[in-house]
Amino acid sequence: MTELSATPAAVLPAETAPDRYRRPSIWRKLRRDRAAMLASGFLTIVIALGLLAPWIAPYDPYDNNLRNMLKPPSEAFWLGNDGQGRDLLSRLLYGVRTTLSMGLIAVGLGGSIGAVLGLLAAYFRHLEGPIMRVVDVLLSFPSILFGLAIAAVLGAGTFSITVALTVAAVPSIARITRGAALVVMQQEYIAACRAIGMSDLRIMFRHLLPNCASTIFVYLTLQLGQTILLGAALSFIGLGAQPPTAELGTMAADGRNYLFFAPHVSTIPSVAIFMIVLAFNVLGDALRDVLDPRLRQ
Amino acid sequence: MLQHIAHRLLISVPVLIGVLLVGFLMLQVVPTDPATVMAGPTASYAEIEAIRQSMGLNEPIIVQFGIYLSRVLQGDLGRSMISNTAVVNELANTVGPTIELMLASLIWAVPLGVVLGTLAAVRRGRLSDRLIMAVSVAGVSMPIFWFGLVLIQYVGFHWQMFPFQGRGGPLWTVAGLNHIVLPAITLGGVFIGPVARMTRTSLLEVLGSDFVRTARAKGVSEYRVVVGHALRNSLIPVVTLIGLQIGFLLGGAVVTETLFAWPGVGRLAVGAITSADYALAQGAILVLALSFLMVNLVVDVLYAFLDPRVRAR
Repeated sequence: MTELSATPAAVLPAETAPDRYRRPSIWRKLRRDRAAMLASGFLTIVIALGLLAPWIAPYDPYDNNLRNMLKPPSEAFWLGNDGQGRDLLSRLLYGVRTTLSMGLIAVGLGGSIGAVLGLLAAYFRHLEGPIMRVVDVLLSFPSILFGLAIAAVLGAGTFSITVALTVAAVPSIARITRGAALVVMQQEYIAACRAIGMSDLRIMFRHLLPNCASTIFVYLTLQLGQTILLGAALSFIGLGAQPPTAELGTMAADGRNYLFFAPHVSTIPSVAIFMIVLAFNVLGDALRDVLDPRLRQ
Repeated sequence: MLQHIAHRLLISVPVLIGVLLVGFLMLQVVPTDPATVMAGPTASYAEIEAIRQSMGLNEPIIVQFGIYLSRVLQGDLGRSMISNTAVVNELANTVGPTIELMLASLIWAVPLGVVLGTLAAVRRGRLSDRLIMAVSVAGVSMPIFWFGLVLIQYVGFHWQMFPFQGRGGPLWTVAGLNHIVLPAITLGGVFIGPVARMTRTSLLEVLGSDFVRTARAKGVSEYRVVVGHALRNSLIPVVTLIGLQIGFLLGGAVVTETLFAWPGVGRLAVGAITSADYALAQGAILVLALSFLMVNLVVDVLYAFLDPRVRAR
């Protein structure tokens, strides 16, 4: 569902001053945005909780005790228990860990591939046609179809979903990177690099990439929210992480069976996904507003 | 105009071949040998070999792809490995409900989204604008299955207002209408935010243009300026964007169908994948991809038709 990121994909950073003149003010502006600060604070906490899950989870997330089946939140089990009596808080912590790492790996990998493709397309004019054509085709396809096709070939599971999410992340980042890189290519210092005989690779990765980094970073943030949402949806319909793995989408799907008498089992992981994605979207939107003056209205 | 359409058609060809190639590859990963399955357990080696020969399984893979293509073109997508019915028949029964669900979602979500987006644009910067935009961001961030689960839990179960399992029949019957309400609210619900956002952005751009200033200057009422002059001009990009978001809607439909046991293509595809019915999965994914390509093409042509600047070319 990436094509519906909160942003129209066509929005590219306008011709702007070189990055080093801009950078200090970005953070100053961002710090004034209360929603963005709240979102990044929340995300920091969530990521820390996910990282620390094995040490702070009060119980084993896979330890079932049928006597505690579907118990509502209590003092011993803060968020209650699921259908097999497992502690929901522990499963939530581990689930955040699984879901976030799936999203981070996919966006990191897909983003890197996309960024390299975008740089290549911007730097080598003769590569632009073929690369961008493939990117456009990938971009036009609904990400859920990648998920379905890859799960059909590789079988349902965390691995195939991560592959699908990676593929889905490539095209939009490639497009954004190319747009940003084309702007930087106009700068005199790139011409200067060429004039002193610097190698293409060095120009691309030492000069072009760092100057596009802020733009790419913003879109990675927005992409991350959409990727997590898609991953959770694929897991929910049974193509992603398989039970008993603690993963937020799978947990929500499991809770579906007890919806009418223990709604907390599905509500808790769903709310967690919602808040994480919302935080990424709010943060990404704020970053984009700061970076792209044309959209600030 | 014709040139534009021809160009678009030409671009679709490689994509089409790519999609078919994926469908073909999906059948190649089947762990069992189709000839052995077809021959049955008592067949001799020679019989299996004869079937292999007749099915073209001994040919080089590129020739096999050719055979696959000609079969698909003839409408033969193979047989489901589980129900042993023709995949095409299974698909034919599911395409209708999926289209039904998508239309039922669009029919209320798009107008509502446009109205909200217009309100937000007109009251830019004020509380109502910020509220609408906040709801829209929240809508984009909401897992569609959670929205569906909440509807099932309250509207379906506690208040018993609408059924939430399966399809009740054709839409012109009461049962049919009742059954589609919750799935359509779920799927449409996630579409409102994006439409509102697009409308707002597009309308804001138009509201700053010269002809709007002219309209205001000659004393046209603000309502007429917004609805009669600005909104009309801002809707072209909105219409195309909505068309291009069909893919997003398709993704939502897959989840919604699974959640509400709606007998559509998405649910069929998911079921086929989880039960490792490769032929059926291949067929369903092929149909989803092809119909998506077709919608894209139609939207593109429609865009050219709607926008006089493209039409004139």
